[in-house]
Amino acid sequence: MTEAARPTLLDVVGIEVRYGAIRALKSVTFNVGEGEIVALLGANGAGKTTTQKTVSGMLRPTTGYVAFDGARIDGIPAHDVIRLGICHVPEGRHVFPRMTVAENLEMGAFRFRDVDKKEFERVLELFPRLRERLKQQAGTLSGGEQQMLAIGRALMGKPRLLLLDEPSMGLAPLVVAQIFEIIKEINASGVTVLLVEQNAAQALALAHRGYVLETGEIVLGGTGQELLADDRVRAAYLGEEIAAS
Amino acid sequence: MTTLETPPTTTPTPPPPPPAMRRAGNETSRVLLKRLAGCLIGGFVLGLMVNSKEGSPDDFGFVFHQTALKPRMLIFLAIGVVIFAGITFWGYLRQHARRPGVRPLGMGILVIVVSQVVLNWYDPQTVKFNGLRKLVDKSSGLSSTTTWFFDWLSWTLVALSVVVTGAAIVTRRRVFGWVTTVLGIAGAVLAWTAHSDVLDLGGGIDHSLGAYGDVIGFLILAGAGATVALSQAEVADSRGFMTRVMEYRPGLPFAVLGAVLAAFSYARNCWFAPVNRNLDFAKTHDAYQGTDINSLASNYLGWLGWVCFVVVAVLTLAATYLRQRLLGWLAAGAALVATVLTFFSLKSMTDVAAKSVPQFGKSWNNLGAGGFTACISYGLFAAAAAYVIARPKTRAAGKSATLPVSRALEKARNSANMKALIVIALAVALFYPPMLSQYWQNVLVTQMAVYLLLAVGLNVVVGWAGLLDLGYIAFYAVGAYTTAYLTGSLPRKPPSWLHMTPLLTIPFAIVACLIAGVLLGAPTLRLRGDYLAIVTLGFGEIIQIVAQNNPGNFTNGPRGVEPPVPHPKLEIGGWKITWGLDNLPYWYLLLVMLAIVVVLFYRLENSRLGRAWAAIREDEVAAQASGVNTVRAKLLAFAIGASTSALAGTFFASQTGFFDPTQFDIFTSILIVAYVVFGGMGSLPGAMAGAAVLTWLPEFLKSQVPTDDRQMWVGALVLAMMIFRPAGLLPAKRRKAELSHLDEASPGEVSAIPRGGAM
Ligand SMILES: Nc1ncnc2c1ncn2[C@@H]1O[C@H](COP(=O)(O)OP(=O)(O)OP(=O)(O)O)[C@@H](O)[C@H]1O
Ligand SMILES: [Mg+2]
Repeated sequence: MTEAARPTLLDVVGIEVRYGAIRALKSVTFNVGEGEIVALLGANGAGKTTTQKTVSGMLRPTTGYVAFDGARIDGIPAHDVIRLGICHVPEGRHVFPRMTVAENLEMGAFRFRDVDKKEFERVLELFPRLRERLKQQAGTLSGGEQQMLAIGRALMGKPRLLLLDEPSMGLAPLVVAQIFEIIKEINASGVTVLLVEQNAAQALALAHRGYVLETGEIVLGGTGQELLADDRVRAAYLGEEIAAS
Repeated sequence: MTTLETPPTTTPTPPPPPPAMRRAGNETSRVLLKRLAGCLIGGFVLGLMVNSKEGSPDDFGFVFHQTALKPRMLIFLAIGVVIFAGITFWGYLRQHARRPGVRPLGMGILVIVVSQVVLNWYDPQTVKFNGLRKLVDKSSGLSSTTTWFFDWLSWTLVALSVVVTGAAIVTRRRVFGWVTTVLGIAGAVLAWTAHSDVLDLGGGIDHSLGAYGDVIGFLILAGAGATVALSQAEVADSRGFMTRVMEYRPGLPFAVLGAVLAAFSYARNCWFAPVNRNLDFAKTHDAYQGTDINSLASNYLGWLGWVCFVVVAVLTLAATYLRQRLLGWLAAGAALVATVLTFFSLKSMTDVAAKSVPQFGKSWNNLGAGGFTACISYGLFAAAAAYVIARPKTRAAGKSATLPVSRALEKARNSANMKALIVIALAVALFYPPMLSQYWQNVLVTQMAVYLLLAVGLNVVVGWAGLLDLGYIAFYAVGAYTTAYLTGSLPRKPPSWLHMTPLLTIPFAIVACLIAGVLLGAPTLRLRGDYLAIVTLGFGEIIQIVAQNNPGNFTNGPRGVEPPVPHPKLEIGGWKITWGLDNLPYWYLLLVMLAIVVVLFYRLENSRLGRAWAAIREDEVAAQASGVNTVRAKLLAFAIGASTSALAGTFFASQTGFFDPTQFDIFTSILIVAYVVFGGMGSLPGAMAGAAVLTWLPEFLKSQVPTDDRQMWVGALVLAMMIFRPAGLLPAKRRKAELSHLDEASPGEVSAIPRGGAM
């Protein structure tokens, strides 16, 4: 599985993003190849969410650009970016709490005229728990189920690139493993994934490649194995003493 | 046991309670004191509310003295104490309060109390229950039961019912339940006969509602007694009960209700009430003997009316009992024919009366309630038929698994409920207004009609898109001024090719409001809830002030429009309708407008845009992530709401003819928000019901309570509503869920959710 074999799908080149006077991203450059899982690691406030939001069109870079499938997409508003096949699962389990699970999933297919029944079935196969609760209000789901629903809803938009922002946040280890397993399955079916995670060990074990973001800049990049072996990563994100190793 | 030592007989002195507990004890007594004080003050205020005020606004002291220092105040303080006891011992009461029958008991008592305290009982003397009691005591010639009823019997019956039902619930003896039923029925009969007795002796035109309310209240009590007697359940399941009743024979309750009402209409109700006389159906027939009434009406009064009743009733009862779809259609058709016949007969009757005796007034005047109740009962029959027609195909459902059956049934029931409701509402909206007095027709058109439209429009903005717009009236003003301009009623005249009749201005008014909506919306819709509310509030004020200041001599400032906006006219080919000073035609014009708007909005609610609004309301980030163009959706909500108020503005301008900027003040804006919230945010029928009830109530209270107190009563109702039914009168499905606790899913869903799915 060499890198050269994959054509790039997403190219982020030198983007700077500001919130008013705050420069959240200074210059971020990375790429994601077709069919890859790429993990974006970094401490709290490093700018991971900001990067993803810029890719999905919720924010605009002040310099630099984002290209998807060879065409620039920075400046295109979020509801149009989704039409290109970039679906975003925002940080913090945003489901529609008073809609049923089924209605939530149908909202995911909002960009199409009709709900694709096959896609619906496929999502339910991926998340059997959701099938049991189709008529339940999404707000009454457990945290893990809500996260599954949020991912399922994004899948209903038939993404080519799926942006996942901390899908493991606040979940029990067993459920995290389950979700990561599902991400693998999703990827195996041909969806490219850009994954933001705090859970570095598991994320890197899953991802083909990874980048480390520090205060708005990429400081490291490489395959999952490389990063896992890197002392700095082990020190900062896996909590291991360098001296001990 | 024998091996155990006997416990020491002397109990050791208990250790003093820990300090925390002692403090808690103090706290409870303080809470209790506060609660008692609150309840007493509440009772006192209620005492001030329920009283006829004397004196002028300058001498509040006198009025206060008059009300506060009378012995009757003790009664209200006692009510306060009862409420206090109720709250304090709620824990104990609650186990009984959830038993079947308690709710109807409370409702029956409430209805009776309202009937006997607030409502009028005898119009010729404009007296309430208490006033009538004094009159009855003074007059002779009434039967003694009537006197007793007013003197002590009715209240005694109420008190007895409470005690007996309470005993039935606590001791679980069925006999007591049946006793309450008997008491309730006796009360209803007594109230009815007592009131008729008074009418027979006193005569005169009486449209008072007190006695009817009383009868209904006592019947509810009877129902409560029967419920207690018949149920052994620990907890009331009224919804389940209703479901069982409706599932036994869908529509049958409606059919029975219709039959009872129709029988009453033809046998007992007043059909024609010229100067000081109340003629029932048969007497009306006699009165019209020999006049040049047309043959339809004469036959109707003679025999056709009865035939209509019998045919429709038999058909509907058969249809609902046999559950035959064909019969259902037949019944619905017959009901329609009967309604039309009734309607034309009534028209012919009043035409003749108006022609022969001018003092009788115009067409449609002097009718009693009978014709109307007959039409309503046909509406009920049609609604019953709708249930039969909407019934799901049982055979198809029977084959599949259990869950889909219940779902299909539920769906069918919902759609049938909807249909029944629509049929009844339409029957009332079409046939009731002609029978109203001039005064009420005026209220209907100048108050209710306009606000119905406005509430429906604002519901899009507030209820569906979740944008709190406190300056909604501004768009209404823009619409009204656009119409005034285009009809040449403002100082600045339009070019002659643009000069037009009011109805033609509608598209222009809509466009003007759309532009205003987008102009206001584009820069402000990125704001969050409260800021948006403030900005729109400001916008409302700005529009009013601009209209006052008369820029460029456009609005004519505080002098208002002149010459008056002409009344609408419609000419299609040779067919011509003109509206004038008469109110009724405006009502039908409004109904047409409202029908169009409601049908459009109903489709909108279930469209892509409607779903986008729902998503934005729920979670804006998630909506954006699902590909909803949030800014555009909000803007559209604003624009659609604005254009509805343009319609209302045009209607208002051409109906009143004259208006000035003071009519577009901020209070009206807030009032409309109140209508929408009261009716149920995000629910179309709710918005309409809210506007209808809250415009009707103040007018109704005019004749029931001192005028200055009206708003206080309205406020009390709104308050009570927000406490006991926070989702509104006819809540939207989703909003209801929003307000009840999320984890307490609605009964239909509970069984479907496995409890405690650990995850
Ligand atoms: N709306 C905003 N306005 C101002 N500053 C913001 C805003 N959103 C984010 N920031 C700032 O931008 C920086 C990057 O934030 P971002 O949310 O991208 O971090 P993150 O890497 O996702 O962190 P975490 O792991 O905690 O989610 C932070 O310093 C944050 O305070
Ligand atoms: Mg983040």
